[in-house]
Amino acid sequence: MIVKDAVCPFCGCLCDDIEVEVEGNRVVAVTNACELGKTKFMGEQRLKNPILRDGNTWKDITCDEAIRYAADMLLSAERPLLYGWSGTHGEAQCVGVHMAELIHGVIDNTSSVCHGPSILAIQEVGHPGCTLGVVKNRADLVIYWGSNPIDAHPRHLSRYTRYAEGFFLENAFRDRKVIVVDVRKTETANIADEFVQIKPGGDYAVLSALRAIVQGKTDTIPRTVAGVTKEQLIRVANLCKSAKFGAVYFGLGLTMTRGKYKNIRNAIELVSELSRHTKFTISAMRGHYNVYGSNEVNTWMTGYPFGIDFSRGIAFYNPGETTAVDILARKECDAALIVGSDPAAHFPRKCLEHLADIPVVQLDPYPNATTAFCNVQIPVAVTGIDAEGTAYRMDGVPIRTRQVLSSNYPSDREVLSKMYALMQEAPGR
Amino acid sequence: MTFLMITGRTVNQGVTVENKTSAEYAEETSTCFMHEFDMMELGLADNDPVRVTGPCGEVVMRAVASVEVEMGTVFVPYGPYANHIIAAGTHSTGMPDFKSHEVEIEPTDEEPKTVHGLMEDLGGLAYDR
Repeated sequence: MIVKDAVCPFCGCLCDDIEVEVEGNRVVAVTNACELGKTKFMGEQRLKNPILRDGNTWKDITCDEAIRYAADMLLSAERPLLYGWSGTHGEAQCVGVHMAELIHGVIDNTSSVCHGPSILAIQEVGHPGCTLGVVKNRADLVIYWGSNPIDAHPRHLSRYTRYAEGFFLENAFRDRKVIVVDVRKTETANIADEFVQIKPGGDYAVLSALRAIVQGKTDTIPRTVAGVTKEQLIRVANLCKSAKFGAVYFGLGLTMTRGKYKNIRNAIELVSELSRHTKFTISAMRGHYNVYGSNEVNTWMTGYPFGIDFSRGIAFYNPGETTAVDILARKECDAALIVGSDPAAHFPRKCLEHLADIPVVQLDPYPNATTAFCNVQIPVAVTGIDAEGTAYRMDGVPIRTRQVLSSNYPSDREVLSKMYALMQEAPGR
Repeated sequence: MTFLMITGRTVNQGVTVENKTSAEYAEETSTCFMHEFDMMELGLADNDPVRVTGPCGEVVMRAVASVEVEMGTVFVPYGPYANHIIAAGTHSTGMPDFKSHEVEIEPTDEEPKTVHGLMEDLGGLAYDR
């Protein structure tokens, strides 16, 4: 059986033109997807059944036992952390927020170690963004800043920018210019019309220099700024001002370096100044396929996008205090529920040392690095493969992922709903 | 020698990210991409093991020459090896300094540990059924 127009549950591009060939309960071929998506669809390294750590061994348990264990763990914790949420569907994220409120826990998603700083900047100065379709059809200049889509979002270039057709562009490949700004000469830099190589940590200074040039203060610019020559800065500023429609896409090269959210703020303000000359937009290259959805769900339910602390009985948000890395590093939480992410592979070691000291339950289809720190892991269906659900693309467009095969694994929403029901029934709740 | 360590996504890291117990994931995330002149300076050939020491510990990786990195900088794909030496401070943003750590790199005779090995060092229990 061939399933057409399947949605790829890997990165924030959420490509919705995938063809998946299914034989029995196995995916045997994938068309249109990039290497990342194809490998995810074809992946067969699932955890077979729920497991419980018993001293220095693992033993198999039933799903009901695992759900009961998780509910009891969360109910008896004083400061539970509910982390992850980017690798699951919106319906499961909703249950997670309700659960965090019920037990006065902290709920944080992977954006705190991804584009959290971008959201902080957007809260300061707004987000002049647009959908990917607008960029595809109108943009004659695209800037990738601190982002390497060839490795991280392989089809972004072919679906929306460098290699895409554009309704309002006569010959998109010829008429659309691409600028890449990075500290490394990446594969994406090799296909750019202009590559701006910045010394590490110099993004803020280069953004400020471009803003000065756009404002007509070129005389104030020194001979080089963070390794970029004044001539190139002027050339880039002119390319931006002469474009009919420009789009900036930025990656973790801006959010993870020194300056963090201040880098993004400066980039947004550059875009705002360019919009006084022409039309310009800016958007984040979101990583997980539904990290944007996690921010959306949290925001509409609590008012805040990540790092939400219900310990006061109301939603409280203070990144740096209520975010997962900080809470773990301060050894503050006394239990953790991990859903749709792998903090043991992606958090600094100090956080893992605390994960080893507290009870941990994880919902994840695969054995991963965090499995080693789990008391219980519950394998779930993969959204977009054997479960369906809503995900938000990197430009904020909600897309319903499809189930391409059936399995016996429960979805995240089913497991979390059962867990939540048990917690609601507990005495005193 | 002192280097600036930058971490980031690679296709191979992304392809193996849902199979973290595989040798391929360990190989990719324990690769320290370096400029070839820096490797010459340290007397390293491709795939030689190096000890990388950061602000909160050390980890053994393998050095591989890359034309993408500048001298004085190394690039390591996201994963448990880089995070073994990254500090947890976030400057009140929630975000550690994943792309701006100074590290010391020296040749070593030790082999990189497995992902399971790293997790067990920190108090975890490997699941490898």
